[in-house]
Amino acid sequence: MTLRTRLFVLVGTIVALTVVLVTVTVSAAARRSFAALDAQRTAVLVAQVRREFAVEGEQVAQRLERIAASDAVQRIANDLRRSAGDPAASVGDAAPLAQAQGLDFLDIVTDQGTIVSSAHAPARFGYRHPLLTGETAALDPAGAPFLQRVELPGDAALGMMATRAVAAGDRRVYLIGGRKLDEHFVRALVLPEGMRAVIYRNVEPAVSRRQFVDASGVVVDSGPLEPLVARVRESRQEARDVVREPGGDESMAALPLPGRDGAVLGVLLVGSSSRELSALVSRIRWSGVALGALGIVFGFILSYAVASRVTRPVEELADAARAVARGTWDTRIETAGSGEVGDLAAAFNLMTRQLVDQRDRLVQAERVAAWRELARRLAHELKNPLFPLRLTVDNLRRARCLAAAEFDEVFEESIGTLTSGLESLTAVVGRFSDFARMPVPVFADVDPNEIAQRAVKLFQAQFAGGRRPAITVTLDLDPSIGTIQADGEQLGRALTNLLLNAIDAMPDGGSLTVRTRRVDENVVIAVADTGTGLTEEERSRLFTPYYTTKQHGTGLGLAIVQSVVADHNGTIRVDSTPGGGTTFRIELPPARPGDRA
Amino acid sequence: MKRFRFASLALASGFAAAAAVHAARPQYGGTLRVETQATLRAIDPAGDAADREGATLARRVRPLVFETLVQVDPRGGLRPLLATAWESDARGARWRFRLRSGVALHDGTPLEAWQVAASLRMTADGWTTSIDGEVIVVQPSAPRADLAWELSDARHAIVVRRSASELTGSGPFRVERLEPARLVLRAHDRYWGGRPFVDAVAIDMNRMPSAQLASIESGRAEIVDLQPADTRRVVQRGLQVAASRPLDLFVLAFEPHRAAAAHDAVRRALAGAVDRAAIASVLLQGRADAAEALLPSWLSGYSPSLVAPEFPRATRASTAAFPQEQRTLTLRVDPSDGVAKAIGDRIAVDAREAGFTVAVQVPAGLAPRPDVRLVRIALDPSSPDRTLARFAREAGARSVALATAETAPGAAAAIDGVARFERALLKDAVIVPVVHVPHLYAVSESVETWDGAVVTPTGGWNFANVWIRSKPQRE
Repeated sequence: MTLRTRLFVLVGTIVALTVVLVTVTVSAAARRSFAALDAQRTAVLVAQVRREFAVEGEQVAQRLERIAASDAVQRIANDLRRSAGDPAASVGDAAPLAQAQGLDFLDIVTDQGTIVSSAHAPARFGYRHPLLTGETAALDPAGAPFLQRVELPGDAALGMMATRAVAAGDRRVYLIGGRKLDEHFVRALVLPEGMRAVIYRNVEPAVSRRQFVDASGVVVDSGPLEPLVARVRESRQEARDVVREPGGDESMAALPLPGRDGAVLGVLLVGSSSRELSALVSRIRWSGVALGALGIVFGFILSYAVASRVTRPVEELADAARAVARGTWDTRIETAGSGEVGDLAAAFNLMTRQLVDQRDRLVQAERVAAWRELARRLAHELKNPLFPLRLTVDNLRRARCLAAAEFDEVFEESIGTLTSGLESLTAVVGRFSDFARMPVPVFADVDPNEIAQRAVKLFQAQFAGGRRPAITVTLDLDPSIGTIQADGEQLGRALTNLLLNAIDAMPDGGSLTVRTRRVDENVVIAVADTGTGLTEEERSRLFTPYYTTKQHGTGLGLAIVQSVVADHNGTIRVDSTPGGGTTFRIELPPARPGDRA
Repeated sequence: MKRFRFASLALASGFAAAAAVHAARPQYGGTLRVETQATLRAIDPAGDAADREGATLARRVRPLVFETLVQVDPRGGLRPLLATAWESDARGARWRFRLRSGVALHDGTPLEAWQVAASLRMTADGWTTSIDGEVIVVQPSAPRADLAWELSDARHAIVVRRSASELTGSGPFRVERLEPARLVLRAHDRYWGGRPFVDAVAIDMNRMPSAQLASIESGRAEIVDLQPADTRRVVQRGLQVAASRPLDLFVLAFEPHRAAAAHDAVRRALAGAVDRAAIASVLLQGRADAAEALLPSWLSGYSPSLVAPEFPRATRASTAAFPQEQRTLTLRVDPSDGVAKAIGDRIAVDAREAGFTVAVQVPAGLAPRPDVRLVRIALDPSSPDRTLARFAREAGARSVALATAETAPGAAAAIDGVARFERALLKDAVIVPVVHVPHLYAVSESVETWDGAVVTPTGGWNFANVWIRSKPQRE
């Protein structure tokens, strides 16, 4: 995973978690606030309903009082007293009295409990009033208003009722009247925004949808409210629930409305819509989503920018490092900026600049050292032949005084010496010239085993000993090695030089092993001896031209070997420890340089 | 002529007594304003009314314009009208009616026997009518002992048809104009019984009961329909109440699915639950009679107990023995009949007190099939046999067939045959009489009559004898 991806994931995760946390926290706080507000509003509305009940009851009582005080009722009472309760003369009197006072219900009842006239159920005359089925004394003639189930023709209703009594001689007439508890009552309530009040009139044996009324009349869809009402009917206790409505959840409180005997005659349902809460939570949620999306986009941009600022220099640094590895030491990173990446770039540039400087200095130093070594070697090589030449020239100068015969003899001898010396000098110069003029390799398919065998064969005599101890030669050649593209002559020359070095390293004899192997696609040719081995310092300078540890060496043998191997795009490595022998390992590619794909 | 004679006497009585007799002296002139809920679409006696109220109104209005040969005497029997005498052979196969002389039609021409015969041919299909001088001879297709009674029906009123739309009668009033909601009758100046006191009768139709009450209380009408429940209010306001004998019968008629023997006990229990006395005395303000039998005693002449079965008083305990579905009934009432609605409500209350669940159905359109209907049936105030036969027609052949397999008594049947058929109708409580109700009218205090009441015992409008007392003038 790249730094950019990691940064993107990290920033996105942090932003998303933060947004989710904030959203959840704010939503929970909003819910708590709304719940508290709901409870408060519900309590206010319930108190208002109780006040309205009290006001309604008071109004009913006042209206009933006015009816009781009317001449008409006094006349009815007198008529009833005279007619011993015959309702014929008064059967139609309740309706106009109720209508005049705006009452929905009015029963005129004798003190025997018989209905004389009923405004809401005119046909019920002659029957006993349900409130007076027992002793008439049980009816408080001026008691507090109360809720009562009222029988209607073919129906039943819930009423806020009151009672009054009118005396006529020794008899009394009861007035039992009230107003219907319906949508008009609910309409009188001042409902806060988002709240509603529903009254269930518990006047039927089972929960009935048509008994749910709100300010607009019968509640069209009262299905969700029915379980709550059923609970209150059963428990006679207040109940609360969340009701699922099409417009959203609604927190609903249901309060029983008891009658005179404590029976639940109605249920007040106060609903507080959670639509606002849902809208707020939705807004918070969508804001969270929007912020999250923005955060993720921001994180992407930020991660891209940061990654660009961080990884691009790093990538440039990696590219530069690879360029340095390829040998382009003067590689520079053109990265502006500050901070660690800037310091790193500056350090890299400083490093490459110093590397180039050091390389230049090293090259210069090596060049100087090489020249010195060359000069020393050249001086050494030239000094040996020059010294006999000088002595010969001196002998000739002295011989001028000798007899001619003797002089001729000395002269001939000196000429011979001078000639030999000049030939020696010419040979020295030729060797140096040969090294300077290494030919361009001519590649062809060659068999490394064959080259190795031919090279070993050249030194059969030296291996056999004679004036020195013999060397045991072992050829460990891989028969399946195949051929490689190489210049066979130069490769043979390189092997020859390595064999010569090995012979020189084993003056007391030893064991020489020539091995060929195929490693991956490359061919490895190893020459191992059991000679004196090399010190660390010798090993580090082994391939330096003109460096030698031998008395009469030119120091060009291994330099030529390295040159040949390099021309074949191969590598040469040496493993050696003092006294432990030395192993040269040449690794050559199967194809010539430039033929590789 | 009698009214003219009275006028002469009155003039001769002198001015001194004028003030004393002012209140009782008939006065000519004025328009008698009548309001009614019913609507009359056509004045032709041969036409049928669209509804029950329309038919009742037609029975009241048409005799004012068109007269029959004979008419029912409220005291019993028949009395002459256009025919001064009538006779038949023993079998009732040939009837002779002597036409009253001097009868002028509304157009001033005299009524002739051939016109009467022609009119009867129009209304009595299959009868043979001929004239013999001033005698109209009627030969029914089959002998009929009650043909004279039949001819007392307004359907057989004598109509002289000048053209398809020009009908002329001989009644005390002629039709001045008939509009959708108003009928104006003008006094027939040459009426053989004497010119009516009022110049005209204006009948406003299709008036709601409350509007009628308001009209008479405010003086905009002299005579209006009256609901029984309003009689006390009318009396308290100083108005008069005119009533016929109980001419309408309310019955509970069970539907076929409730008429089976399996529901017999339920029907009897429901019939026993209905407090007829309370309905008659309280709900209908004592203006109605609790009905135990179909025919009122004044018409049948026998005691209701002779034909009415005994229904034990139903109680909740006894009703609880019935299956719930049998105890639950739907009672249908006529939505246009306020009295029926009130009676239906009371029956429902009585039934509920006895443990039934009765829903009163007042259908405004299509409605589910009821279990029982409350039906108002107009009784024919003529003879018991004709009344019962008409009841059978109005109640419907289906209801009668559900109640009994017996056939209705024939014409001029003996009273015991009438009683037997009535008993058969009532015995299974498929038809349960509830109450007999009269026709009630509120009459202004300014309305006086010279002969008889404003409304006859048989329900007729006695407007030819009505005069309107003018308000006393301040000196």
